[in-house]
Amino acid sequence: MKAILHLIEHDFRNFFRYKWWLAGLISMNLADLLIMAVVYNQMLSPEIAEQIKSYFSFFAPGVTVVGLFASAFMIGREINMEVRRQIHHYMLSLPITRLELALGRLLAGGLRGMMYMTPLLLTTFLIIGFPSLPQLFIILGALFLLATGISGVSIATAVSITSFEKFITARGLIYYVLFFCSSIFYPLSLIQTLGQEGIMPQPLVVLAELNPLSNGADLIRAFLLGNPAFTFDMIRNLVVFSAIFVTAATIAYMKIIERK
Amino acid sequence: MAIIQTIDLTKRFKDLVAVDKLSLSIDEGEIFGLLGPNGAGKTTTVLMLSTVIKPTKGTAIVGDYDIRKNPDDVRKLIGICFQEPKLMWVSTPWDVLNWHAKVCGLSTRERKRRVKQVLEHVNMWDHRRKRIHGLSGGMKKRVEVAKILIQRPKIAFIDEPTSQIDVVGKHKIWNMIRELRDEGSTIILATNELFEADVLSDRVGIMHKGKMLVCDTPKTLKDSILGGDIVEVQLEKEVTKNVLDELKGFKEVVEVVVVKSDDLRIHLNKVEKVVPQIMNLFLNERLPISSIRMSEPSLDDVFVHYTGLTIEEAEQKSKSR
Repeated sequence: MKAILHLIEHDFRNFFRYKWWLAGLISMNLADLLIMAVVYNQMLSPEIAEQIKSYFSFFAPGVTVVGLFASAFMIGREINMEVRRQIHHYMLSLPITRLELALGRLLAGGLRGMMYMTPLLLTTFLIIGFPSLPQLFIILGALFLLATGISGVSIATAVSITSFEKFITARGLIYYVLFFCSSIFYPLSLIQTLGQEGIMPQPLVVLAELNPLSNGADLIRAFLLGNPAFTFDMIRNLVVFSAIFVTAATIAYMKIIERK
Repeated sequence: MAIIQTIDLTKRFKDLVAVDKLSLSIDEGEIFGLLGPNGAGKTTTVLMLSTVIKPTKGTAIVGDYDIRKNPDDVRKLIGICFQEPKLMWVSTPWDVLNWHAKVCGLSTRERKRRVKQVLEHVNMWDHRRKRIHGLSGGMKKRVEVAKILIQRPKIAFIDEPTSQIDVVGKHKIWNMIRELRDEGSTIILATNELFEADVLSDRVGIMHKGKMLVCDTPKTLKDSILGGDIVEVQLEKEVTKNVLDELKGFKEVVEVVVVKSDDLRIHLNKVEKVVPQIMNLFLNERLPISSIRMSEPSLDDVFVHYTGLTIEEAEQKSKSR
């Protein structure tokens, strides 16, 4: 346990050393909310406007989840850099078990995502309204599952791909697929309608429905906006996502990294 | 008593056998020099013994633990100073060392004391808050060496400790390695600097192409070269046949070369033992000596003797492996 705490401390310290990168990321997220959302609000069709009321309110939970994703994914970039510069040899030589090492890095990635997301979530609460205490706990718990799952995706990718160029390409693909095939920018109901009309390919509709980012954003909307309605499927999908990628990343980190 | 015992330790990277059936025993409390050119398999051996990478075949007992079966227990005994400093570029020396000491289980008080003491010792105190990416190669190396000096592990693996470090710094680090040994650590020193291995090591193992060629004390290795010691004698008069015959009669003398009639080069073993007898011979034969010069073989000569190559030539061959 002590070793895991040391690793979390290590990764938190490194996270806050990239303060300009973080400032840039926060600026981008706020620009998304304060510029894009305001403009898009004026572009809504009457049917969608009827459904979501305000794009600004609709998008605020989406931006929160985008911020969580980008910051939790950052641990993968650092681990990939460690592998390329063989700094991972140092980590592997420390008096820490491989399981502690893997879990420490995973948790650190997830917790960094939670920490970065906190001001964005508070902004969302200020814009839309505050949830009840039980709802707040469910939101935080669900977002923690999402953050550790994302941390798992990034670590599994980082240790499987040593080349920086390939890692950046893989990261880009994961970002774009998960961002744009989700309910972050548009309501899931609209994607499903487009799927029924044959405009959107069915596999993409299924991906958007199962996408953990959709589930995370819609869970916040469910409690703050009442639309879409809360379902336990949201929690279940996040638990499954987190379990799969935490396991995958742990195995990848413990097994693959020793061969590099 | 052996603290490290390797049994047919082998590491293969695709077609390259980096370490080939290494069987080696290292005693507790000694400085063991693992000597060889770049690419000889020294670093791979260190990485296997420290459980960073897994052997392809064979195993090793480090402390009382098998590196394959109990790697977590092995890591509690060891510390490594890597050849290339393993430091995150955005960190500072203070943070790197403080965190390292914390992970190695030092109490807050002891940690702060040792980090300060070692940073001052390696002349890095004034640079402790600078980012790693702003430090010179030598400074980064000093931070890397500082890690192990703070940790004081039971078994310390030190890989090329003085590469990129200036002459004054080298002597300082050599003294610190000796102090570490005196405080109870067993030290495995991987180096391609023959002089460094000679001055520091209690025993030396010479590696070449993944194999251990020979292993003993530096003195025994040097003495193992027949006729490796050379005595050059300049006489004031011409040497006589009788003296030459008597010289050849010493069992330690391998060859007597008459460069000129008054200038001899004697190839022999155990120079320190035979020279007084040679001096007596010249005095008894009334042959005054105008100058005498003695030279012992170095570990370079030992390396050449066992491989047929200089260390530079061996490095070139390793690159093309």
